[in-house]
Amino acid sequence: MNKKNVTLKVLLLLIVSDILETTVHFLFKKSTLSAGPMQVTDLASALAFFKVVILSPFLWFGLFTVVTVFILWSLILSKIDLSVAVPIASFSYILVPLISIMGLHEKISAARWMGVFLILAGVILVSLSSKEKSGLAK
Amino acid sequence: MREGVPVILLLIALTSLCDTINQLFLKSAIDSLQFSATLNPIKIIKFIFQLIIRPRLWLGFVFSLISLGIWLVVLSKADLNFAFSADSMHYIFIALACRFVLKEKMGPRRWAGTGLIVIGIVLVSLS
Repeated sequence: MNKKNVTLKVLLLLIVSDILETTVHFLFKKSTLSAGPMQVTDLASALAFFKVVILSPFLWFGLFTVVTVFILWSLILSKIDLSVAVPIASFSYILVPLISIMGLHEKISAARWMGVFLILAGVILVSLSSKEKSGLAK
Repeated sequence: MREGVPVILLLIALTSLCDTINQLFLKSAIDSLQFSATLNPIKIIKFIFQLIIRPRLWLGFVFSLISLGIWLVVLSKADLNFAFSADSMHYIFIALACRFVLKEKMGPRRWAGTGLIVIGIVLVSLS
């Protein structure tokens, strides 16, 4: 287990897995929108809610994508630490605002974009942290 | 977000915790296989097959399903942006779990980077 640093190949896998992961959340949100303004307050209304959602094709596209993401994510985790892979995958925070604007017509403020830049800085730091470790090992 | 923000936050904490447990089982199952990095599709299929017959992976899946169920309820009550923002506590759970359960070596850069991500996400959620 000496090549645990983030290579370009792993980074590419992470980005693809991230885009698919974002797609999953988008599809799931779409599936809950098909339930309309339904309020989940107790068990009976929760069951009614799941009945509507489970019939939505968006949910099933989402679940298929989940399987694909699972395979990619397993390959990634076979190569790097979980504490590196998960923070780098927060890259989707940059993709989610974009998709929310384009697909769901939600509004993004300037402060939100500031947060996005902090996240990006954090992702870069964490990516470098695995290099730092392998550098020390040599 | 009209009502019950504390309830939504509690639900998100639950879904994050369940997902963290799932990731721990998955990572430990993968580490137990000693799979060496390759792009050979047959080896990858073999790896995935060996992985899905690990009982602890299915234990993780149970937590993943609970997490998904709660997540769908959260999404029906909140904006996709808000839900994702509050989900930042996930990174704290993961970092602590990696350090104390998986005994991964967390250097200062990794802690700092994780912290920046959490602050960034909180900033996103407050705006």
